[in-house]
Parts: sequence; structure tokens; C-alpha cells
Amino acid sequence: MPIKGGGFARKSEASSEVPNSSMADIAFLLLVFFMVTTVFQKDRQRPIVWPEAEATQKIDEKLKNIQNIWVDRDGSIFINDRAFEMSEVATIIGPLYVASDRALVISIRGDREVTYQTIDLLQQQLVAAGVVRVVFATMLEQRMTRERR
Amino acid sequence: MAILDKKKSKVSDEVPSASMADIAFLLLIFFLVTTNFPKDKGLAIVLPEQGEDVQVSQRNILHMIIMPNGIVEIKRGESSQVQQVSPSAIEGLWRQEVAENENMIAAVKTHPDAPYKYMVDVLDALHMAGAERISLQLFEG
Repeated sequence: MPIKGGGFARKSEASSEVPNSSMADIAFLLLVFFMVTTVFQKDRQRPIVWPEAEATQKIDEKLKNIQNIWVDRDGSIFINDRAFEMSEVATIIGPLYVASDRALVISIRGDREVTYQTIDLLQQQLVAAGVVRVVFATMLEQRMTRERR
Repeated sequence: MAILDKKKSKVSDEVPSASMADIAFLLLIFFLVTTNFPKDKGLAIVLPEQGEDVQVSQRNILHMIIMPNGIVEIKRGESSQVQQVSPSAIEGLWRQEVAENENMIAAVKTHPDAPYKYMVDVLDALHMAGAERISLQLFEG
């Protein structure tokens, strides 16, 4: 009976295991990928007191298509961390609206104590800019904890 | 003594690198979990386009005039009768009105000096009552 392999026990030099020394590299790659692709909001929170509403709904729109307009208690207007005059709003928002393929949603983040006159002027500016979809940003109000009004 | 010097320590002096992957995954999962995307929330409304004026019969309009103290004055169409309610009563009131006339339009007129929150309260009540035809105006005079 002939001896298999001529008597030499031939060993394969190729490892049959999946290399796991590169696992760490893959993990770091994923880590870096997610860190790079994560987009954070452009503007910082402003110190406003949110109005509350029970009918608060999530805005069904991509984050990049939502433009915040902050209205402070004293009526000053902030867009992307910069203060603007009321009359400038239409000229700022207009080009942004066109650039977004008319998909832009304006989120009015107004302080609850700001006078309605300010909000009305802002709406007029938005109408002049051609914006149609507007959201009054509110906090969700629970019926149980609702203050009497 | 020479024999004793040759004794090797069995404890490895290297940092174990086998658990590096575990640490990396731990970091990955930590950042995935702690990153929160703040979803914007609010009351959506569609503004009219510029120059879009619609003539509506006074019969189909329910005027809601929001005063600076938060009291809402309800006026139906052309009648001069005024009913004073609080914003929380509007939800039920609107349901009643729509049951009577399904073409009803809510004309929310806010006093220029009224705080924004009262307008949000009324808008909230209208949203809760399922109103779709809402007009936001500034109260004049």
C-alpha cells in the first residue's frame, strides 16, 4: 500500500481561519465613518421659553430641509446664529428656499411671550419669500400636566 | 544563583491587543447610542401664496379674536354678537360648529400685543379638533 504523499505529511500553509487581527481596523473604520457622516444642527439653542401644544407633531421632513428662525423674547430674530432685522428675513430666506427646490420648511421658534405682531410680520416676510410650509415649533404638552388657561 | 537569574516571568509585559476590537466596538456602540437627532416638533401650517386672495362668504367664517389677556372673542360671520371663551373651550366649540357647517373656516385674529402663546393655544385647540381651514390674521381696530 503506497504511503500517501510519499511519506511526508504535507501541511497547508494557508490558514483556514478568518483573520481577526484586522477586526479592530474595521471597527475603527465604522466609528470614523459614523462620526464623519453625522450632521449636527447648525445653530445653537437660544434661550427661549417654548410654547406648549397638545397637538404637537413631528415634522416629516429631512433635517437639512428645515430652517429654524428664532424669535427671542424681545422680538429679535436669529437665523443660523446671526441676528437679522425683520425686513431682511425675506431676502435671506428667499434664496435658501429656491436652493432647496421649494422643499424648505420654516420652523418658527418663538418665545411664548413674544407679541403676536412680531410673528405676524415674520409671516408676511415668509409669504414675500414665497415660503408655504411653516411650522410653529412647540413642546408637546401632556393633558395631565397642563396649566389652566 | 545563576540558575535563579534565568527564571523567566510568565506574566506578559505587553498590553493585550486581543481586546482592542472589543474596546473599539464599545466606543462605536456608545457613540451610536448617545447621539440623538433632535427631531423638530411643532404645529404645521400652510401659508397662503403671495397675492392669493380668496373671497369667502361671511356665513362660513368663525372669527376668533384673541385679546392680550388670553380671552378669545367668538364672532359668527356678520352677526355682531360676541361670545367670550377661554382657549381650552375652543376645541369643543369648533367640533360643534363643523357639525353644523362643514365648510367653516377658522379666522384666528390675534391682537398685536397678545403674547404668541395664546395664538399657539388656539391653534393647538383647532388642530386637536381636526380643523384644516385656518386663517391667521392680525386683529385690527
